[in-house]
Amino acid sequence: MGELLRRLNYLLHRRRHDSELEDEMLFHREMMGKTQARSFGNTLLLREQARDAWGWTWIERLFQDITYAIRILRRSPGFTFTAIVVLAIGIGVNVTAFSLFDMVALKPLPVRDPASLIQIQRRSPSRVNRELPYPHTEFYRTHARSLSAVMTVMGVPPVTLDNDTQPAHISFASANYFAELGTTPAFGRLFDPRRDNSPSAPPVVVISYTFWQHRLNGDPAVLGRTLHLNGKAVTVAGVLPADFASPGADTSELWMPILQEPYIVEGSKLLTDPSADSVRMWARLTPGTSAKAAEQELLSLTNQLRHLDPANVWDNQFMLSFAGGHLQVMQPDMYQVAAMVSVLSLLILAVACANLGGLLLARGINREHEIGIRIAIGASRKRILRQLFTESLVLALAGSVAGLVLSIAVLRVMLTLTNAPAWLSPIPDWRVLAFSTGIALLAAIFFGFTPALQIARQHHRRPIARHVLVAAQVAASCVLLIVAGLLVRAMHHTLYNSPGFGYQGVVSIDPQLAQHGYKPAAAGVYVSQMQSRLRAQPGVLSVALVKLPPMGHSVSRIGTEIDGKPVAIFPNSVDPAYFQTMNIPFLVGRAFLPGEQHVTILSESLAHRIWHGESPIGKPMPSDSPSSAPRDIVVGVVGNARVNALSDSDATEQYWPAQPDDMPQMSLVVKVAGEASSISPVVKSISQSLDPKLFPEIRSLKSLFQGNVATVERIAAAVSLVGFIALVLASIGVIGLVAYTASQRAKEIAIRLALGAARMQIVHTILRQFALPVALGLLTGIAAAATASSALRRALYGISNVDPASYAGAILLLVSILAIAAILPARRALRIDIAKALHHD
Amino acid sequence: MNDMPKNGMPSGALMMLILRVLRSSSLHGYAIAQRIHVLSSEILRVEEGVLYPALQKMLLKGWVTSEWGISETNRKVRFYSLTAAGRKQLQAQQAEYDRINDAIQTILRTA
Repeated sequence: MGELLRRLNYLLHRRRHDSELEDEMLFHREMMGKTQARSFGNTLLLREQARDAWGWTWIERLFQDITYAIRILRRSPGFTFTAIVVLAIGIGVNVTAFSLFDMVALKPLPVRDPASLIQIQRRSPSRVNRELPYPHTEFYRTHARSLSAVMTVMGVPPVTLDNDTQPAHISFASANYFAELGTTPAFGRLFDPRRDNSPSAPPVVVISYTFWQHRLNGDPAVLGRTLHLNGKAVTVAGVLPADFASPGADTSELWMPILQEPYIVEGSKLLTDPSADSVRMWARLTPGTSAKAAEQELLSLTNQLRHLDPANVWDNQFMLSFAGGHLQVMQPDMYQVAAMVSVLSLLILAVACANLGGLLLARGINREHEIGIRIAIGASRKRILRQLFTESLVLALAGSVAGLVLSIAVLRVMLTLTNAPAWLSPIPDWRVLAFSTGIALLAAIFFGFTPALQIARQHHRRPIARHVLVAAQVAASCVLLIVAGLLVRAMHHTLYNSPGFGYQGVVSIDPQLAQHGYKPAAAGVYVSQMQSRLRAQPGVLSVALVKLPPMGHSVSRIGTEIDGKPVAIFPNSVDPAYFQTMNIPFLVGRAFLPGEQHVTILSESLAHRIWHGESPIGKPMPSDSPSSAPRDIVVGVVGNARVNALSDSDATEQYWPAQPDDMPQMSLVVKVAGEASSISPVVKSISQSLDPKLFPEIRSLKSLFQGNVATVERIAAAVSLVGFIALVLASIGVIGLVAYTASQRAKEIAIRLALGAARMQIVHTILRQFALPVALGLLTGIAAAATASSALRRALYGISNVDPASYAGAILLLVSILAIAAILPARRALRIDIAKALHHD
Repeated sequence: MNDMPKNGMPSGALMMLILRVLRSSSLHGYAIAQRIHVLSSEILRVEEGVLYPALQKMLLKGWVTSEWGISETNRKVRFYSLTAAGRKQLQAQQAEYDRINDAIQTILRTA
């Protein structure tokens, strides 16, 4: 490729080559001058034509354009500053959103070979589970050839630590876990597959760096120290590094080998029970194997497993793999959220670009003169267009750099506030850099192209472009404000409306009987003893049993269809006192009777969906399967109480009386007069006297509820901020455009004033042309918001996605801000010096 | 591309002529133009606006190289000479030109 080398060599020495060419042509001219007096022509142009052969002139032109653009921009610092700030906001929001997505889903975990790490979940056409029975993972571990290693992690409820009142979060992991991840300990050792892979090995615990710092006060002699977890002695073997990256964003404070689980959770059968979905399964793909091939092999292994354990392998069960080498294992619904966020942030960019487009258009009038001259002296329109676009590009790149800086600052704050894993850093990686360059290019096309075209054609007096810009800004800000309004309303709704149940003064107590191997009879004795002794306590108002306690760790959800519409039913088994304890009102019918079977109580929403307002009392529940089994008879209807789906306004509930077989899974809910936490010590001492092996988990429903609401508050605050930014941007844009229109029509205004027109009438004339684009923008915005927000339904906590108050509020706010933004510059236009305006030109 | 520059000579033909006059000795730009002018009995005139782009293109293609020397008028000037690739190119172009020319002549004679 000699030609390419020569071309590059020319580029590197192009100044020398050019001066040589100049010399040579000068000589030619001299020689020619001796023989004949002919014009040599435009020497510069001739030289440029000769240089063209090397194919680098575009670089020179680009360089010229860029230098010129920088000079032009420096000459109007006010405009440049405004433009860069507007762009920094528009681009910064997008870069921040992308950086977050990058951190969650794209950035590889700092573990050994993150690309071959997968998570494996259990699926069938009708069932979904992220966890699977431990014995099944053992089967896959032994037989799968496409997996070079299988790791299992079991999360259990928090354990007690020594005599602390605050429990500690623990995970049990297979002995190969840290070795497979390639984790190096900060101190001591991590799990050793040879030593720790046995139930009889001396029990060791590996602790997180933060746990060591905060709970053990950075004890320098921590290695070998004995901790008591649930009263069992374990030895600290090592400390994880501060930047430990755990797949699945597991933030456990304590890690123990999985075979030690029955030692800590006494009586637990989770490791041997093939019916308990108890562990998450991670794996490493054998080099050269694809995830699809591994799924194929796991499918055939699942079919073999069905012969061995027909009861616990689902019909049509298959194993689904997910890329595991990122902070989060991305599920389809997370992509939905990501798509929504990206649409919202692109809207901000659209507002910023429309805004800037208006500014550029207004600037065009000042540059008319300059561009006119350039065209007159022979610049082609193409060249002018390119020059103007280069200016936009330079602006966009500057805005992108500013946006990147802004986003780093925002991310730094966010990471600190959310206690993010230490290995995450706000410094952009190549993906973020590429994204911000790409978005700058997109922005330059958005905001620069139309004005450039108009200016280069010297047609910018036509108002159509301005109208499109106004409509686009109004529409985009309208969507953002409506979505922000919906989320804020949703937050208020959750904060100030009853969720349908009382959480004040209620605690849930989960003694974890099943996990400790309790059989139904023994469990029944335990819970009834606990119930009667709690009832005897002063201040206890009510005690009840519930299988799935409110806002608990596990949620059951039945997806079904009623009249062809999907309905989510949250089932629960409760004892008769549950509704009273949780303060759920009875609408019709009665509570369960002790020992009752084959009866059911529905929430109002479910009863309404099935019987449309008729009384359901005494009717059997409709069923899909024409089985001969007796169908449950409805005995009562209670108020909606979405105890395990706070934010899902589509959720319905169905209750069954708890049966003796349910006892090992039961939790208790206790309502006390006064502060709920006062009951904790009493519960602990009762539990100790009933069975010292048990350490019930006691949770205050009020704090769980508040924790839930805090998340909504944060989201609403973030979206409101974005909506506010859009509003500010849009009003700046409108101020600019109205001022521009007024200045264009200064002479006309002066004449009208001179002829004695009423001021109001003139304002009306200036503003009238904006009425249509604003109205169109509003309509488009409302339609878009109504369509898009259906995706938000679940996050809206009982607010309809077409909630009139949110829409009206957003539109009112937008219209009034726009009106102020429009009237300010229009009024200023009236304070015109008539004589001066008329004498101009 | 500018196939038919002002002097009415296709640029391919111009390059062939430049290669041809450089075959015997190395020349500077003005001398190339002069030589072509003289050898064509003052029919062909090579304009500067065509000569230098052609020379630059030939430098890029590697058909000619240039080095600095002293002109007959005692000025420092760039002399162009043919490379091996240039020689090959000349042969190929000349053969192609002859073939086309024969074909055209045949038509002009017989049609």
